[in-house]
Amino acid sequence: MACGSKSLWAGETSWFCCGSAWGPCGSAGGGACGNCRSSANHGAWPNASQACWDITRPDLCGENIPRRGCGAVMNVRHQCSGATVCITITDCGPRTKSWCGEATCCNGVCRTNRVLDLTPAAFSAIGNLSSGKLPVYIYE
Amino acid sequence: MTYRQNDSGGLGRRRFLTTAALSGATIVGATALGGIDADAAFASEPSLDPAIPKSSFVEGRITGITGSVLQVAGSYGDHARVQMTNATSVWKVRPTTAAEIEVGDGLYARGVPMPDGTVAADAVWVNIVNLDTTIRGIAKNRLHLSHGQHEFVGHVLPDTTNASYAGRALTSDLSRLRIGQSAQVLGAWRPSDDSVDVVRISVGH
Repeated sequence: MACGSKSLWAGETSWFCCGSAWGPCGSAGGGACGNCRSSANHGAWPNASQACWDITRPDLCGENIPRRGCGAVMNVRHQCSGATVCITITDCGPRTKSWCGEATCCNGVCRTNRVLDLTPAAFSAIGNLSSGKLPVYIYE
Repeated sequence: MTYRQNDSGGLGRRRFLTTAALSGATIVGATALGGIDADAAFASEPSLDPAIPKSSFVEGRITGITGSVLQVAGSYGDHARVQMTNATSVWKVRPTTAAEIEVGDGLYARGVPMPDGTVAADAVWVNIVNLDTTIRGIAKNRLHLSHGQHEFVGHVLPDTTNASYAGRALTSDLSRLRIGQSAQVLGAWRPSDDSVDVVRISVGH
């Protein structure tokens, strides 16, 4: 599936580990879709399924994020640098409801609420892992 | 050899790394690139075709260090060699130098594939973790945390560990942490005892 340019959403993205890995990440497993890998350009979406939605509840932060299941392809762009990465959804997350109102800013413009989690491979393609969070636009 | 940035944006970072790794040159004035900053790296080179990888990514444990090359065993049985250059940014608990990297460390690296099969690293993150945890216990200098079925100790580091509460600004005040809270922990894994040095702990609502 091609990585598109139609605007889908915007917000914060964090990063997480999945699949076989070293250290504490070794217990993470393959995620909700079973094939998540830290070394691949993968991501977790808060509405990957109804069961996923029931956990993440982005609506409690005012984010009525549409359903995009396992295998959905998204283009993620850093709000300020313009760096992009094409990802495939392979997991459910983040738990948006726990972070309502959290903001990440660059160049004085902020994005609120965690709406996406990226693997280390995907996150590092557009930003610095040690920052933990990035403001992004999401396309499909 | 000295590299300089020109008026039109200068030598591309990838070309800079490639040249540096190939020549083994001592890079004078790396700040000509705008500083050795992983945030800035590659930022001016957005992908033109997402199907073509614009950079390489390496994940795994360091099994050997030969000169400026790290041997890495990937978690899926793959192997890689990571070439460090004077332009490589290194993070291990904090921004640091390649001298802090040890055999046995976990690694994520971003770089450019080289003709000799190595990856010329633009940025290397050593032992970095970003975990969705639950706080199970709180002591003076450590936290007891769980991540899925895995329980571990999180070390509180003076002058390093910060907390964020409900999205607010970072503070060194950890007194508002509570047992049972969900917390995102960004830190550095210690391979020797499987604990984690906590750099930032964020608790939500």
